[in-house]
Amino acid sequence: MCASCGFPAAPGHWTDAGAADPAERLRNRFRRAQVLKSVLKAYGLTAHDGGQVPGIQIGTLSGSQAIARDLAEVWKVAEELCGRPVDPLDPRFTGVGAP
Amino acid sequence: MRLTVLGGYLGSGKTTWLRHQLHEGQFRDALVVVNEAAGTPVDDALLGRASRLELLAGGCACCEAREALVALLRRIADERSRIDSRTARVDRIVLETSGLAEPGAIVEAIRTDPVLVYHIVVGEIVVTVDALHGLAELRGEPLGRRQIEVADRLIVTKTDEAESAATKRLLATLRGLNPGATISGAVRGSEVALPDCSDAAPERLPDVPSDAEKGPVFPTKLDVDGSVDWASFSVWLSALLHARGDDIVRVKGVVRTPAGRLLLQAVRKVMQSPEILPEQPDGEGRQDNRIVVIGRGYEPDDLRRSLDYFARAGKI
Repeated sequence: MCASCGFPAAPGHWTDAGAADPAERLRNRFRRAQVLKSVLKAYGLTAHDGGQVPGIQIGTLSGSQAIARDLAEVWKVAEELCGRPVDPLDPRFTGVGAP
Repeated sequence: MRLTVLGGYLGSGKTTWLRHQLHEGQFRDALVVVNEAAGTPVDDALLGRASRLELLAGGCACCEAREALVALLRRIADERSRIDSRTARVDRIVLETSGLAEPGAIVEAIRTDPVLVYHIVVGEIVVTVDALHGLAELRGEPLGRRQIEVADRLIVTKTDEAESAATKRLLATLRGLNPGATISGAVRGSEVALPDCSDAAPERLPDVPSDAEKGPVFPTKLDVDGSVDWASFSVWLSALLHARGDDIVRVKGVVRTPAGRLLLQAVRKVMQSPEILPEQPDGEGRQDNRIVVIGRGYEPDDLRRSLDYFARAGKI
């Protein structure tokens, strides 16, 4: 493999690539949790990221919980917990009107 | 002029392979022509080592942009004819097609053009095949098969990420589809040895549904402007790839973030680690904050509406 003909790649999971310094990373985590919370609510799920420990906690309203390491895992966990994938092209997200 | 046509399905590694060949000094004096189906070019930014680069964006060169391709090649031939034969002239052209192009149709367009036929000799058709997704594409995409069938040389990419047994089956299938082509392996453009496939059985390919049944794959441009922050964008895109990864064949684009200009590239459900592109002088960052999603099975407007929803989510 050649490492010299491309540009440097961002380390870690790709969804973490948008924040470079620690403060920005933390801000990104909080904002991400906020978006997840609002989106997953429609599927009867909760999301929480306190910024202290790694991972995002996903739970159901009946109390089941799981921790996802990154966003890709969030969707897998969410699918397992609610039995169907969270589809961003679902009419509830593409319909007109603010959340 | 000798023409090398570089084809292969969406996200199969055409640009990566070409970029490494240019880095190694292959095609050093060649004129590189890049064709992209979407109006927003990305690949030209990655091929900085080409001595001369022409871009043909906004349509696939085997169908809607065929005339534009012929006009471009005629112009190149015309310019070359005006130069004294003792001075250095373009002797080689590398055409990187879009992932939706049929290399066969492009070659036919050149061979049947009354002007180009006297200027251009088609040297080789190189087609890249993704070891991770190649078999799935051969099973389901008529275009994927046609690309393989016309190749003189097949390059199986990403073999480091695929399982050896799957690679062997893919190799045996490729041999069956196109016994005449030479097959080699590449990882990020560097040549690698391929496993011996003599004991592997080729995949029995089903009759493919025609494009009319499944609907064609189409590109959609999305502006990721100031209203969309990285957090909501990454939540949205990761969810989209998880839920619709079988319909979304390719995502690419450059997004500006606090961490720099990130080059995002996904093939089906697999997202590459984003490359951090160097800053460009003003005016040249024109393709920033715009991604192209290529796929089928959804309304283009729904992508925009859904992204807007995610960008607003949690703000109220």
